Amino acid sequence: MSDYRSVISSIALAATLFTGGICLSQAQAADIIDEWANVKMPSAPELKAVTIDPKTTVLLMLDFLQGNCGHRPTCLAEMPAMKKLLDAARGAGAMIIYSGFEKSTPSDVIKDIAPPANEPMIHSNADKFLNTDLDKMLKDKGIKTVIVVGTAANGGVLYTAGEAALRGYKVIVPVDGLSADDLYAVQFTVWNLVHATPTFVNGVTLTTSDMIKF
Amino acid sequence: MRAKCALVFGLMACVGFGVSSLHAASIIDEWANVKAPPPPELKAVTVDPKTTALLMLDFFKQPCNVERNPRCVQSLVAVKKLLDEARGAGMLVVYTVYPTASGKPTSKDVLPEVAPNGGEPFFVGFLNKYIGTELEKTLRDKGIQTVIAVGTFAHGAVLTTAGVSAELGFKVIVPVDGMSSPTLYAEQYTAWHLSNVPVVSSKTTLTTIDMMKF
Repeated sequence: MSDYRSVISSIALAATLFTGGICLSQAQAADIIDEWANVKMPSAPELKAVTIDPKTTVLLMLDFLQGNCGHRPTCLAEMPAMKKLLDAARGAGAMIIYSGFEKSTPSDVIKDIAPPANEPMIHSNADKFLNTDLDKMLKDKGIKTVIVVGTAANGGVLYTAGEAALRGYKVIVPVDGLSADDLYAVQFTVWNLVHATPTFVNGVTLTTSDMIKF
Repeated sequence: MRAKCALVFGLMACVGFGVSSLHAASIIDEWANVKAPPPPELKAVTVDPKTTALLMLDFFKQPCNVERNPRCVQSLVAVKKLLDEARGAGMLVVYTVYPTASGKPTSKDVLPEVAPNGGEPFFVGFLNKYIGTELEKTLRDKGIQTVIAVGTFAHGAVLTTAGVSAELGFKVIVPVDGMSSPTLYAEQYTAWHLSNVPVVSSKTTLTTIDMMKF
């Protein structure tokens, strides 16, 4: 009798759990604002050393402007590393392109890393392929690899690096070359660069400026 | 002499330490210290159906299935409600998918719960749905000034297409219960990005499907 009862109660319990499970799985998920405090941070992605061919590589120096980088201590702190990367790229003969916003001029770029007259500057908002000749400039030079540094990480770098990957370029992002007002935005940019691009498109390689060999 | 050496050595070590601490720590070093900002405010919004388009981004099996992305499947009930309301109000509804390793999906691959009605524009493209498609022309030809972006992944197609829409001058509405990612982290950042990043945030209203009026 007691066995019978326990079997019945087990079945009842199982049925309740099953029904509950179905209800739960069909329930609408709480939206992200409700879930805000429950968000778990993903683990940090791996950085890789890279060796690049300067003949087919461009270094994109995005929006390192006085009015932008100049007010952002995290950006200014990256200038010595950026100067070193720039010198190495120039020394190896790689193509270098600067960007700014609509009315920026080369003299608006942070002095230490300012462009000489022969290096072009393009003008756009976050996605530097939008409303510019960037794609044509790269194709005309046979560029296959794009190194992206700049500020803000979650503006110019995020959109331009993502767009470059989708357009078939190999993309290299040194994590010591991107900054934003908020570390949260830098973290997401780094995470998203390796997670948002479909896996069969040329991916994005994360590295540091010291780990790039020309 | 030995004391002098120790002093000199100590000074050098101090200087060395000073220099290395001045060098910017990369985001990978800072990863565990990153704190999420407070949640953005959701706002009620009234939509003009004549000048607004609903962008249904990537509601097909590849990115929207129970195993890989359950929050997408869970969003379908609310998205269907939005879709019915948009159609009922005579709004332009546009669908997208992206090419997969096994080929180009067609409009028949859109999940049946939210399938196109046969005459609605359908585009194939990666994250930025304006690239290589007639999306912008379709919107401009119809006099569209506002886009509502829903879909998956939040951190992929929604983040990118909403961001580029803003750059192109469209107003953007994103209901947080209409966008989904496999991880809350990615949804959280997307919600924050859309309501904090310059250019994008000035054009974007973050809301919920129930807070939208037609």
